[in-house]
Amino acid sequence: MKSIMKTTYPFAAMVGQQDMKLSLILNVINPGLSGVLIRGEKGTGKSTAARALAEILPDIEVVEGCPFNLDPGESGGELCLACTVAVCGFKQAQGGNPKSLARPVKVVELPVGATEDRVVGAIDLERALKEGEKHFEPGILAQAHRAILYVDEVNLLEDHVVDVLLDSAAMGVNTVEREGVSFSHPARFTLVGTMNPEEGELRPQLLDRFGLCVLVEGLRSADERVEIMERRLAFEQDPEAFARLHEVQSAELTEKIRQARALWPRVEADRAVMMQIAQACLQVGTDGHRGDIITLKTAKALAAWQGRTSVDEVDVNRALELVLPHRVRRRPFEEVAGGSAFREA
Amino acid sequence: MAKALKTAQSPHVTAPVRGRIFPFGALVGQREMKLALKLNAVDPGVGGVLVRGEKGTAKSTAVRGLAAILPELDVAAGCGFGCDPADRRHMCDRCLGRLAKGESLEAGTRRVPVVDLPLNATEDMVLGGLDFGKAVRSGRRRFMPGLLAKANRGFLYVDEVNLLDDHLVDVILDAAASGRNCLEREGVSFSHPAAFVLVGTMNPEEGELRPQLLDRFGLCVEVGGEQDPELRVELMALRESFDRDPEAFCLLYERENLDEAAEVERARLLLPTVGLSGGLRSFITALCIENNVAGHRADLVIQRAARALAALHGRREVTQEDIAAVAPLALRHRSRDASPPPPPEPPKPPEPPEEPESPKDEHDEQDQVEPPPGQDNDQQDDSGPEEGFDPPPPEPPDQGPEHDMGEDPAEEIHEVGQTFKVKTIRQPKDRKLRRGSGRRSATRTAQKLGRYVKSSLHGQPQDLALDATLRAAAPYQLRRQGHTGMAVCVKPQDLRLKVREKRVGNFLLFLVDASGSMGAQARMSATKGAVLSLLMDAYQKRDKVALVTFRGREAVLNLPPTSSIELAAKLLAELPVGGRTPLTAGLVEASEQLRRNLRKDPDSRPIVLILTDGRANAGLGPDAPPHEEALGIAAKMGLDERVRFVVVDTEAQSVVRLDLAARLAAALGGEYFKIDDLKAEDLVGIARKE
Repeated sequence: MKSIMKTTYPFAAMVGQQDMKLSLILNVINPGLSGVLIRGEKGTGKSTAARALAEILPDIEVVEGCPFNLDPGESGGELCLACTVAVCGFKQAQGGNPKSLARPVKVVELPVGATEDRVVGAIDLERALKEGEKHFEPGILAQAHRAILYVDEVNLLEDHVVDVLLDSAAMGVNTVEREGVSFSHPARFTLVGTMNPEEGELRPQLLDRFGLCVLVEGLRSADERVEIMERRLAFEQDPEAFARLHEVQSAELTEKIRQARALWPRVEADRAVMMQIAQACLQVGTDGHRGDIITLKTAKALAAWQGRTSVDEVDVNRALELVLPHRVRRRPFEEVAGGSAFREA
Repeated sequence: MAKALKTAQSPHVTAPVRGRIFPFGALVGQREMKLALKLNAVDPGVGGVLVRGEKGTAKSTAVRGLAAILPELDVAAGCGFGCDPADRRHMCDRCLGRLAKGESLEAGTRRVPVVDLPLNATEDMVLGGLDFGKAVRSGRRRFMPGLLAKANRGFLYVDEVNLLDDHLVDVILDAAASGRNCLEREGVSFSHPAAFVLVGTMNPEEGELRPQLLDRFGLCVEVGGEQDPELRVELMALRESFDRDPEAFCLLYERENLDEAAEVERARLLLPTVGLSGGLRSFITALCIENNVAGHRADLVIQRAARALAALHGRREVTQEDIAAVAPLALRHRSRDASPPPPPEPPKPPEPPEEPESPKDEHDEQDQVEPPPGQDNDQQDDSGPEEGFDPPPPEPPDQGPEHDMGEDPAEEIHEVGQTFKVKTIRQPKDRKLRRGSGRRSATRTAQKLGRYVKSSLHGQPQDLALDATLRAAAPYQLRRQGHTGMAVCVKPQDLRLKVREKRVGNFLLFLVDASGSMGAQARMSATKGAVLSLLMDAYQKRDKVALVTFRGREAVLNLPPTSSIELAAKLLAELPVGGRTPLTAGLVEASEQLRRNLRKDPDSRPIVLILTDGRANAGLGPDAPPHEEALGIAAKMGLDERVRFVVVDTEAQSVVRLDLAARLAAALGGEYFKIDDLKAEDLVGIARKE
């Protein structure tokens, strides 16, 4: 879903909000971080950042015409055999090597009012009537495979939609058993959500699905606030000129992300580093092990982002700041703390 | 619209997505969970496992990994239900018919299936229904198997089982109890074997299971995170190498998986020969009696599980150790003394926000605090979160209240007292359509939101239940062909509409007495504890809450209606006490809030929770005695049938009781509880009620 507006506010032109920008970039570097929750008051650039992300996302290989955004390596299984899309690159190649193309990672938006059938997919009305056959029409979760699933005001999401989201986020597979169709397809997505805590908290199980969590606040320095106003004004007057102005920066950012993406699989973490993570998570008392696992991945992505192939203590500390805020065992009704609280952890 | 896919035709096609499942053999720790799953693999009669635990403890990973270590079964080839050719008692009608005709059933094999029941499933997909394609082509009504048919002789797995809709739970319970699925719908009448092992995972923070469903699980395992840093490191390393290259990792652990599978297979063969001495039988009975277990299911489950364990160890005789090892698994969720399912995240009252909080402190505190009373049941309780239950050290009394002190000098803030799990308070279900979202009361919904429960002939015209409509039209297609150019011809009489249902949160209005009389004998602490408990319950059910307090001369709306329970809890902790008791003013303010809420949302049915000792001593008017005045107003408020009133009496137990709160409840036409009565009843009590 490309945005309708031709130009969004460039990611590279955002002032401040280092934590938020970093956490988004880290998720692009390693989609295994499984997303970020951006908490904060109104008007702090939460949605702007999430939408602007689309501009700096790298390319991925997908099977041409595939409704499930399958990687060429993933294709050819039972899913493809059951799939009836004629224009699919896998079918055209008659088995063998499917036709593929490179295109940027998508940002798929999940509207808060989405119905369950739109999210998981449903029976295809047209073909059921015309051909008298049951076919599955993919939903938002199919589009979101290998993409970024963005939910604005995630805490206002309907309860039963959260349930199905949890269901597929857990294992990266969307299993549909409804309206006479029985189907399952991969749905591994990076979940990016924004929320204003004043409107109520997230359910604990959903909260845990977000790999990282950042707290954004209005900037405190007057200079930066002026800077934001000026840039915003310039953008609104002539969005395209403004985008051109930051073209070089955006290109640099994209390139740096591309390099980090290539680098992170080679990043190594030694035992001492892992011990540090385990101790830190035990100390603050996180639930389960997802905290440890995500911290390690985050630290590796951080090292890759800085062009290194080994994780050091500083990476871990920074990663803990992003991973732990929403995982510390809170007393009921206690608010989620900011990342800075863990600087000493 | 053009992008569509043909759905899998054969009922035995499992999820096409494989190869990314973390191998069972590579799981670190979680011995109890692995054991419980393996016992069920050896003997399906053990009756399933419920895995309870915090997030991120490999609950789902373990169950999904299980499929790989399950043995092969002998099945009748071509049978849609995987019938055992040697077992006539549990055979489907078709296989029985073939045997009756003298045909023999060809033998085939298939692995024990693990069938996923996703939360989005509709009833017809679980039970099965009319085969649409066949009906269109041949005009005949044929049965199309559902998930229960696929799960026959295998495992039925529900992730987040506590979030499953009630109507699906009913259906599953029904089949699980009888081992057969009997279907009467859409003109199809069919019955087939559906003997499956129910496996569920859940996070108690999201709410508890219904008692009947809880009892249906043979075993119950509590999982928690590993506390040993060495193990955590090992776990991280394993996970990292799995994520890097899942296929290579699975190959690496193929041996472990094969070993596990061989162990299960051997045990399965050995199982029929395993014996249990009479002495040990009485030992099991004694165990169950000692633990005050409801019903006899526990005895049977322990017996079967112990035999399965002996078989796993390659022994032909059950030992006392076997029983001791499996008994906790079977008793945990059935024992009546210890509150059966440990309460969710035990509440700890919030501290004043101005106190800076460092994570280190919290850790220290958790170490020192001893486990709460009532939690120390004999089973090992490694699920950590139960720590930190006790109220925090009392706040310094000189701490300045946030609110306007008024003219009352004797004002103080009381700490929040012990919290507990509250019993269910909900408005009964009716046929009215509502909007909104939440988890308290079930309601039919008018918008195209909510879960598609079933189809009906009457309903919202724009909410077409396509699947049901097509099934209704299918048998007539041969006769109707040729007019439209469409493959299917639908007439108005075929139209079926969706019935959707969801739970809506209620509007809870807390009316809290904060007068001086509440300050005596820690009554306010207990009251705050009760309110906090109710708030936590409200949080799980996504209610809207408002808080009105009354003291001195007037009633104050401390918290306008909000979904932010956090805010309510914070305000509650800071709530000062002192002054006289203007009960009338409180009631008037409450009815004003109710009026506003009902005007905004006429269909909502608010619940008012009044926490007071009822000793009104400040009236609005000069004429009537304050108490009479309050009762008069209460009687008028009680006339509104849309509102439900609950009066919680905070009067201390020891003093001579005046029972003023009871009179208030009677005047309101509402329910009356003492604080202790609010606590959730034990398992047996609830089960009897339903």
